[in-house]
Amino acid sequence: MAVKKKIYLDYNATTPTDQRVVEAMLPYFTEKFGNASSDHVFGWDANEAVENSREQVARLINCKPTGITFTSGATEAANLAIFGFCKRNRSKGKHIITCKTEHKTILDTLKALENEGFEVTYLDVDLDGNIDLSELESAITSETILVCLMLANNETGLIHPMYEIEKIVHSKGVKLMSDITQAVGKIPVDLKALNLDIAIFSSHKIYGPKGVGTLYINKKNNIEIEPQVFGGGQEKGMRPGTLNVPGIVGFGKAAEIAFSEMEEESVRISKLRDKLEGLLMESCVCKVNSMKANRLPNTTNISFENIDCNQLLRKLNSLAVSRGSACTSNIIKPSHVLKAMGLSDEQALSSLRISLGTNTSLSDIEFAAEEIKKTANQLKRAEV
Amino acid sequence: MRELDTIINQYELLKNEGTQSVLATVVHVEGSSYRRAGARMLVDEFGNITGAISGGCLEGDALRKALHALHQEKNKLITYDTSDEDDAIIGAQLGCNGIIQVLFEPLDYQDTLNPCELLKKVIAQKDALAIVIQFNLDKNKVQHGTSLLIDEKSNIWGKKLKQELLKQILKQSQLVLKENRSAFAELISDKEASHIFIQNYQPPVKLVIVGAGNDAQILAQQADLLGWDVIVTDGRPTHANKERFTSFCQVIVSKPEKTLENIKIDQRSCFVLMSHNYNYDLAVLKLLLNEQKVPYIGILGPLKKYQRMQGDLKEDGFELKDEILKKIHAPVGLEVGAETPAEIGLSILSEIQSVLTGKSARPLKEKSTPIHEKIHSQFKEIKI
Repeated sequence: MAVKKKIYLDYNATTPTDQRVVEAMLPYFTEKFGNASSDHVFGWDANEAVENSREQVARLINCKPTGITFTSGATEAANLAIFGFCKRNRSKGKHIITCKTEHKTILDTLKALENEGFEVTYLDVDLDGNIDLSELESAITSETILVCLMLANNETGLIHPMYEIEKIVHSKGVKLMSDITQAVGKIPVDLKALNLDIAIFSSHKIYGPKGVGTLYINKKNNIEIEPQVFGGGQEKGMRPGTLNVPGIVGFGKAAEIAFSEMEEESVRISKLRDKLEGLLMESCVCKVNSMKANRLPNTTNISFENIDCNQLLRKLNSLAVSRGSACTSNIIKPSHVLKAMGLSDEQALSSLRISLGTNTSLSDIEFAAEEIKKTANQLKRAEV
Repeated sequence: MRELDTIINQYELLKNEGTQSVLATVVHVEGSSYRRAGARMLVDEFGNITGAISGGCLEGDALRKALHALHQEKNKLITYDTSDEDDAIIGAQLGCNGIIQVLFEPLDYQDTLNPCELLKKVIAQKDALAIVIQFNLDKNKVQHGTSLLIDEKSNIWGKKLKQELLKQILKQSQLVLKENRSAFAELISDKEASHIFIQNYQPPVKLVIVGAGNDAQILAQQADLLGWDVIVTDGRPTHANKERFTSFCQVIVSKPEKTLENIKIDQRSCFVLMSHNYNYDLAVLKLLLNEQKVPYIGILGPLKKYQRMQGDLKEDGFELKDEILKKIHAPVGLEVGAETPAEIGLSILSEIQSVLTGKSARPLKEKSTPIHEKIHSQFKEIKI
C-alpha cells in the first residue's frame, strides 16, 4: 500500500530539527556526557558547550550572554518570568497589562496570577489584531508593574510595533516583557535596540530540539525575578536542575544557523507565502486575516467562507496544517486570537493557519493550494 | 622580585620536574579591574598558582579553565564579565564593572618558543620590549597566543608570521614603545578578524641609592618589594656591605667620582642622593649632569642644600640646563608628612613611580575621569 505524500506546513507549531543540529548534539549524549556542574574534565567539557551555546543564542537576539537563562522551553520561561517578576515586585504594584491575542502560555499564567491577588487588563485588538497604543497608554496606572505583549502572533503572524510600545511603557516607569518565540529566526530580533526587560523563546521553533528554551533578563535595567524552582544552584540559582546539555548544544547550533541563514530564507519564504495566498484567493472564497498588517514572512491565517475547517483539515490528510494553535488542539474551540479580532465563532472555526519553513518548496505550495481548492469546493458542494 | 621573575622561576622548576603547566594572561580589559592587561599567572597540573590575574575574584574559576585548557591541549580565551551581579562563579557583588579577557596557554616544554621561553628572554634582555600576543574574541577561532618580542630597533624574536601581518605588527609595536603604553588592535582581512595585545614591557626600575646608611637599608627593602632592582653605593665598606644589604641588592664601595664605573645607566636608572655627606652627594651629582638617559635624580635634604649645590656647581663651571633641572627633585619625595625612614622611603618611591609613569601624583579622588581612560583599551582597526 503506497503511503500518501505528506507535506508539512505547520512550522509555527514546531520545526524539524536541522540535521546539523542533531550532529552537534550527538557527542553530548555518549562521549561528552558530563554533568555541566561537575568539577572535572567531563564537567568542564559540558560546561564549555553550554556557555558556547549561550553565546550563540545571545548573538542571534543581540543581547549579553549573561542575560540568558536556559529553561525547558518557552512555557517554563514564561511562568518563571511572570510569577518570578510579579511576586518580587508586588510591593510596587499589582497590575499587569497584556492583550487578548497572547499565547495561552501567557494568558493561562496571568489567570493563575489573578488568583493570587494580581489584576490583569486584557487589551482589545482591532480586525487585524493590532492593539491601540493610546489604549495601552491609558491603561497604565500607578499600580502597573508589567506589560506583557508578544512580538509576533503565532496564529496570524502579526507583529506588534514593539519600538513604540517600549517607549510608552518605559516612559511610565513600567517594565516590558515579550514572548518573542515566533519572531526569532524569522525576522531580525534585536533585544538591545528593543530595550526589552524580559523576553522568552524556545528552541523547537528555530529547527532546534524540543525541551529547551530561554528566559532573557535585561541586567542593565535592574530586573528582579524570584526563582520558582529550587535546589542545586544551576543557572545562577535562577533555574536550578541539571542542565540538558545536548538540548542546549542543539539550541545554540540552531541559533547559529538561524543567524547566518535567516535573512535569505525570509525572503524566499515570504515569496512562497504570498504566492500561496494568491493562489487560494483566486480559487476559493476566502479571506486572509491580518493581510495588510506587519506580519511574519512565513505565516498565513485564512478564513474560508461557509466551510467547517475541522472537516477541511481531516479531508486535507496530505497536508499538515493547523486550525487555531497547537496547544489547544484537543478541544475544538474557536481560536481566541481570531475571536479577539472580531471574527464570529463560525468564522473562527472556518479558519486555517498555514505556516511555511525551510523545507517548503514551490511545488509544496502549488500542491497545497490545489488540494485546498479541491477539498474546499468538494465540501461546499456537499453542503449545498 | 618581580612577578614575572617568580613566574619564570616556577616555570623552570616545573619544567625540570616534568609537571605540566599553563600560562594565563589578561589580554584585554574593558571597564574596571584590579589587574590590567599583561597580568599573568602560572598554573600547574595540580592546581598550584604562581602570580595573579585579579585581586582574587577570578582565580578560582581561572584555575579550572587552565586545567581544562591543559586537558584539551589548546589555547583558550575566556571572558569574565564582573559587571554581572548574580554571577555565582565570581561571587557576591564586587563593585567592579569590567569585562576581562584571559588567554590560557598550555606550555609545551619541547617548544623553545613557548610563551614562558619567550618571557625568559624578556627578563634576560633587560630592555624595553613589545610583547605581542595574538588572540581572537571569536572563541571558535584559533588563539595563536604569545608570539613575538620586538625591541626598539625592530629586532624580532619568536614565531614566524606572514609578511603582511608582521609588517603591521612591527609598526604598531614601535608606536607602543615610543608612546610607552600598551595597545590593542583588531586585524581585519577580507575573510576574517583577529586581535592582538601589544604589551609595553619596561625592564625593572633600577634604583641607585647613593649612601648606605640605615635609612638606605629600609629604602632598599621597600624598593625590592616593589620589584625594582636596587644598587647601593657608598664610600664606606662598613656601611656598603652584604651583611647590611641582603642578596637582592648590588652593593658598590667606591669613591664618589667613580660611582658610575660599575653601573650601567639606562632610561630606567633612578638616583637618590642620600649619603648625608654634602660633598659625596655633590660629587655624584656632577657625574649625573651628563647622563641624558637618567629620568630621575632625587636629593635628600632641605631646599637650602640644593640651592647651595647649585651655587657650587656654577662656581665649578657646570651648566645646569633646563632638561637636567627638570629631572632633579630636591627636596626629594612627595609631601606626605614623612618622618621615619620608612615613611620617607614611601614618599621617595611614590614620587619616582609618578615621574616614570608621567602621572600627576594627585589624589585619585580628584579625578573627574575614570582611572583608566577608555580610549586606551579600545581596539585600533587595522586592515591587512
